[in-house]
Amino acid sequence: MEDSNQKTPSNDRIGRRALLAVGGLTAAGLITAGTYRQLKWAAQPRAQVFIASGQRYDDNLARTIGYGLVATGLQPEGLRGKRVLLKPNMVEPTKAARHMTTHPAVVVSVAEVFREWGAEVIVGEAPGHVRDTEMALEESGIIDALTDGQLSFADLNYEPSRFVTNAGGACQLKGFYFPETVAGVDLIVSLPKMKTHHWVGVTASMKNMYGTIPGIRYGWPKNVLHFNGIPQTVFDINASLPKTIAVVDGIECMEGDGPIMGTKKHMGLLVMGTVPAAVDATVCRLMKVRPEKIPYLKLAGGKLGPIDDRFIEQRGEPWQPLVSPFSILDVEHLRDLRAGEKVS
Amino acid sequence: MSWIDDALARLAARPVCGYEASPADTQPATEPTALATIALARHGRYNEARRGAEWLVELQRAEGYLGVRSGEDFPRWPTSLAILAWKQVDAQAYAKPIDRAAQWALSVEGARLETDHASHNSQLAAWPWVEGTHSWVEPSALFTIALRATGFAEHARVREAVALLVDRLLPDGGCNYGNTVVLGQVLRPHVQPSGMAMLALSGHRDPRGKIPRTLDYLTFAVSSETTSASLAWALLGLAAHRQAPPDTDLLLQAAFERNLKRGGSLHKIALLLLAAAGEWRIAND
Repeated sequence: MEDSNQKTPSNDRIGRRALLAVGGLTAAGLITAGTYRQLKWAAQPRAQVFIASGQRYDDNLARTIGYGLVATGLQPEGLRGKRVLLKPNMVEPTKAARHMTTHPAVVVSVAEVFREWGAEVIVGEAPGHVRDTEMALEESGIIDALTDGQLSFADLNYEPSRFVTNAGGACQLKGFYFPETVAGVDLIVSLPKMKTHHWVGVTASMKNMYGTIPGIRYGWPKNVLHFNGIPQTVFDINASLPKTIAVVDGIECMEGDGPIMGTKKHMGLLVMGTVPAAVDATVCRLMKVRPEKIPYLKLAGGKLGPIDDRFIEQRGEPWQPLVSPFSILDVEHLRDLRAGEKVS
Repeated sequence: MSWIDDALARLAARPVCGYEASPADTQPATEPTALATIALARHGRYNEARRGAEWLVELQRAEGYLGVRSGEDFPRWPTSLAILAWKQVDAQAYAKPIDRAAQWALSVEGARLETDHASHNSQLAAWPWVEGTHSWVEPSALFTIALRATGFAEHARVREAVALLVDRLLPDGGCNYGNTVVLGQVLRPHVQPSGMAMLALSGHRDPRGKIPRTLDYLTFAVSSETTSASLAWALLGLAAHRQAPPDTDLLLQAAFERNLKRGGSLHKIALLLLAAAGEWRIAND
């Protein structure tokens, strides 16, 4: 890519970036001082993750989500007047496989929570495999969420973009062109679907951030990112984005050949927190996958947040009784996601 | 007033347009402006089309390419659509920009890859979205259409691109962004890239029958619910093979009315008008 010059990876920048990000969060009054300390990993390595089981799309999800986010350190009083981007996953939607994409009820519920807290809510996505975003909205059902919730939508694939320096340093890209909406919001809420991924094992809130990258500049698929390494670019994008938190749709999930062609698996879970790396590590454990075997989480651990269970405080329900192994493709590069066990 | 007259009036008022849902917010971009220019010219509105063509000339760099919008010179995949816009408005008057753009296009190719994970022929090269990456269906189709339209149908690059597009069609017809079978799993087709590929492959035959199966897929897939961009490209692809559905105008009108309710995107109006103009004979070959 012509405008993506090589550079020397530097982990020193991570700590500074984390501090800057956390500084931004606390300055905006969005999260508690406790969470501030969590992101300064070396000094205060703890994060909170909230799990709720027995969830259904026709439940009052907003109440659970509001409670869960506060329990993991979000300060609602700091959100009044802030611009919040909700980022669902609509990578390659089809009505034939709604378990591939974030359920509209989750989007509407999260919007309700943040509006109740006085935030200005926008939904935005840059679907990775389809250029007709209107089709993606229809096939995923998100168009219904936008209508029902009277929500505005930002088509992140086609917006003008701003160059943001790569704060991660794991890949060779000097920076990322983020759509203006992404670069301009106070907070991003990653709303992924809990899925297996046939290249990197698991996709949740961090991998979902590929959908903040505009196709008009990176292609469909975003092949520039693939050429620079999926784990490295997932890590770098997350390190470079504005402050991000996560609410994972783990109600109807995908196992096997995810993130597109896998089969439906019911879990009935919502998983959330203010530190996406910690949330994703917990999602892995719920799927009976070792988070340290997921390459982008290995990169993130200790830099963007803790992935070690000893440093993640569970809120809501503990993960251990809720574990249900997800089937994983039997391919060489995914064989050691569960050390000592044969995958199926 | 027919829907076409209404659509033409809206597009003629702003031939230099962008992707936004609402025309009032539009920030000019290369692809929507090129499509608007082609659509206006195909409907005989040359004066307004020329405004789009001139805007594209201003955007063209000395090397021949155009970026995605003013101030964003990279990547350069919309160069293909600018070639088509100039060709449609006045091939003689715009001969120099067309030639510069075509020569630039012929100098760029997708990366050839060694992979055991995908079943498509990754050694074939056509055009990538972004230079330095792999070839994918839509940019390959757009450059194939543009180069066939400007006298390069027999060029080795175009012949290889045609082979690549056929290779990327799924076994049961249709295509997606450009993968067919990954890790042993056949992937799903999508309407927009399938339609675009069929337009690029007009006049071509495929002994394995994937082109007719793709036309069958498109015929089955389009309905009054099909979204504007997908519908337009599907109808363009079908018409290129003389298989336009008899209710084409009704389908387009339904999509136009839905588009107006959703803000009236000029990009989508341009595509619907382009499809409404009937068979687009792109090639001199």
